[in-house]
Amino acid sequence: MTDTRATQRIVTRSGAGNTPRPAGRRSHRFDLVAAWGMLTPAVVMFFTFVIVPALVGIALSFTEWDFFTPPVFVGIDNYVRLFADPDMWQALGVTIQYVVLGVIPTVLVGFMLAVLINANMPGVPVLRVLYFVPVVLSVAVSAVLWSFMYDPRQGPIAALLRLLGLPPVDFLNSEVLALPSLVLMMIWLALPIVIIFYLAGLQRVPEDIYSAAALDGAGTWRMLWSMTWPNVMPTTLVVVVLQIINFVANSLDVALIMTGGGPLGATRSLSLLAYEQAFSFQDVGYASALSIFQLLLIVGIVALGRILGSRSFR
Amino acid sequence: MKPMTMRYGRYTTIVVFGLIIAFPLLYLLSGSLMSFQEISQYPPKLLPSELVWQNYADAWEYLTPRTVVNTFIFVISVLVLQLAICLPAGFALAKIPIRGTGFLLAMFVIPIFLPANLTLIPTFIVTLELGLVGSFAGLILPVVGHASLGILLFRQFFATFPGGLIEAARLDGAGWFRTFFSIALPLAKPVIASYSVVTFLTAWNMYIWPLVAAPGPDTRVLTLALAPLAQGDFSNISPAVSFAAAVVAMIPVLLVFVLFQRWFTRGIVGSGLE
Repeated sequence: MTDTRATQRIVTRSGAGNTPRPAGRRSHRFDLVAAWGMLTPAVVMFFTFVIVPALVGIALSFTEWDFFTPPVFVGIDNYVRLFADPDMWQALGVTIQYVVLGVIPTVLVGFMLAVLINANMPGVPVLRVLYFVPVVLSVAVSAVLWSFMYDPRQGPIAALLRLLGLPPVDFLNSEVLALPSLVLMMIWLALPIVIIFYLAGLQRVPEDIYSAAALDGAGTWRMLWSMTWPNVMPTTLVVVVLQIINFVANSLDVALIMTGGGPLGATRSLSLLAYEQAFSFQDVGYASALSIFQLLLIVGIVALGRILGSRSFR
Repeated sequence: MKPMTMRYGRYTTIVVFGLIIAFPLLYLLSGSLMSFQEISQYPPKLLPSELVWQNYADAWEYLTPRTVVNTFIFVISVLVLQLAICLPAGFALAKIPIRGTGFLLAMFVIPIFLPANLTLIPTFIVTLELGLVGSFAGLILPVVGHASLGILLFRQFFATFPGGLIEAARLDGAGWFRTFFSIALPLAKPVIASYSVVTFLTAWNMYIWPLVAAPGPDTRVLTLALAPLAQGDFSNISPAVSFAAAVVAMIPVLLVFVLFQRWFTRGIVGSGLE
């Protein structure tokens, strides 16, 4: 906060101009040379590994290709096949489950935990570390840990069930429970980031709305949802978009490591299906079509969210 | 007396929820020091009766020093190269008045909100066609190329920069490169620190890209060595040794996080701002 204020002061003192205008043709040419000298490495790398792949991906989705023999143009066959593929529909359903089961609890619980630890009390900054630590874990590390926790013979959760007199459950091999089990771990991994975002968002909520509400006799729970929640809406929008992307993206790593997409495809998301088509079956054209289809879905959902979001604000 | 009890209530809640969240991690640390019998016994134990450090020796042998070195090569190269291309690009976009910056910016923004796995297959194909699959170059360069976030973050930082400083340096006759190195870079230390911590963590934890781009023993990174331990088959290796391996793979990022927590939280929040 102080930083920005200091910056503003400097800017006002030094006058309006942010950048000196080019004085003549000579300096303009220097600008051009310098700018492109600085931009070229980034542009070349970005072009080679982002733009070219994007175009290649689009082009290949209209072909049949196995990585080795020359690609064959097949028109929209891959897209036609996609809509007739029962695996695709299952994977689409699974992807939606990852997102819905994952994002909503992550955002709500993350918000409540952030409010909880947003306390000006001695010792709390140290205790916050407990909430942040899962952020350092890779999917691989946390998969080692959680697949043991879910283990039906030796795991601590199985032991807990036994203590309660319940039969053992093979979480990761159950068609019903495998996906929620993976999602629970993903929520755990995602919470720190959401908490960090909300902590930053909460700094911008004016304190006096609380004292006003307290005078009105509003309870903590009501203040939380009728005062704090609406005030952090901008943060929520960012967090929701990032978490949709997170759950779509991480479902690939998590399922690949922990269940291989099974049992019977119950944890196989669209991205894992595309991955399998490309790297297990060398069906690159179809895999590309699956990726493009998924891309269009995400763009559509985010755009829809934007429209609905901006409407509800008005 | 009421505020006092409320305060204790809040402390208790903070501690209880904190322990619930940190429990799996504490269990990982504790389990990594248990004997094979102890970690799989019933009823389960929370703390080892004696510390079995041998697990760490076994885990180190399983992971191999080579894998650890590979991981450092990968992460540090990604970090250094990304800074090297993103900082000047961000500065040029923010401060040097040339045409076309709007177009470039738009181009850099688009991929920021795309899940990485969508570009996985075509990025692999381009890397394959360049003949880089299986090498460190193939492992590192494509990750460096996905530089949108860095470019935009640094551009945003340089754009809010005290304009007078740059102007003064320019009027003193310093060229753009000198202005960049002697004025802009030193002032950018905080944002560089934030970006570095986030990038270090992200690269260290990558799994899918190293798996497809360079899974061979010469380039294999830690996440690839760990993944088989998570596939539910604990018959060959004691779960305690798997836990120890997971802890070994986690220590560097944990250190970075503990030492630079402030920069990390700033970097995370910065990455979400459009």
